Amino acid sequence: MSLLMILSEAAKGSFSSILQIAIIVIPLMVFIEILIDLKLLDKLTAVLVPLTRIFNISQHASLPLMAGMVFGISYGGGIIINAAREGKLDYREIYLVNLFLIICHSLFEDTFLFAAIGAQWIPVLTVRIILAVLICFLFSRYTRGNQIKQKTVSRLRDVPN
Amino acid sequence: MLTISTFKRGISNGLNITWELAKVVVPVYFAVTFLKYSPVLPWLSSLMSPMMQIVGLPGEASMPLILGYFINIYAAIGAILPLGLDSKEITIISAMLLMAHSLPIETAVSKKTGIRVVSIVIIRVVLSLLVGILFAVLLHTGSYEKLF
Repeated sequence: MSLLMILSEAAKGSFSSILQIAIIVIPLMVFIEILIDLKLLDKLTAVLVPLTRIFNISQHASLPLMAGMVFGISYGGGIIINAAREGKLDYREIYLVNLFLIICHSLFEDTFLFAAIGAQWIPVLTVRIILAVLICFLFSRYTRGNQIKQKTVSRLRDVPN
Repeated sequence: MLTISTFKRGISNGLNITWELAKVVVPVYFAVTFLKYSPVLPWLSSLMSPMMQIVGLPGEASMPLILGYFINIYAAIGAILPLGLDSKEITIISAMLLMAHSLPIETAVSKKTGIRVVSIVIIRVVLSLLVGILFAVLLHTGSYEKLF
């Protein structure tokens, strides 16, 4: 294997995979902008309200949940952090939102990225959603009635901006 | 309301992500292709092979896994592609990476929400391994075809 052949393999391979990913990611981002402009994200947030009931948490958690699921933890981070600092959610609720989102976030982009490189995306997505709901449900049953609001308030005060 | 700017924003976001991705995927892709033809990757592969067997992956797949955990999904993708994994193996590693990736960045966000994050990181890594085992068993016993 000559150096030139290695270089050309890497160049061709990386170029064609980026192209493949661009073909999927660009329409996907247009789709998300359409969702935003048609105000469908608000409806999506409303759809998550029953989920907050299952987890026995405040409805205010549905907005950070939606942001994380659609935009991911890095890009949706602002909304998630704001929701946590507004003071409408207690420690348990904030922990549960985090727990849900670490398992199940950026559902559109991540799923399609891995589909673009050849993963079977339906089973992967299914397992993510099932695990997130199941683990959060168990967590919510296990911690029900925990009065740890006080702790949150003092902890949030300590968090630097 | 849908306007032309909806599409403009979408396309520009898409191009942005593609660009961010390319900046990571291309160098990683080159590096891994070089490693593939050097003694390093075969060495790493045989070293990690016993551990990676648990999740039904070849030893060299440990590299994208580690890059994904510590950097991000883009780096992992750049390392998966040159390895020539089959569709089953890519599905397993995708499932594992989706449970745990970009741990430094995403954990920083969790920390800013005011919670203790040690448990969160442990849960992610444990889930990543469990999901890997689950998919390896499903894919290799054939029960997977019945399910999906």
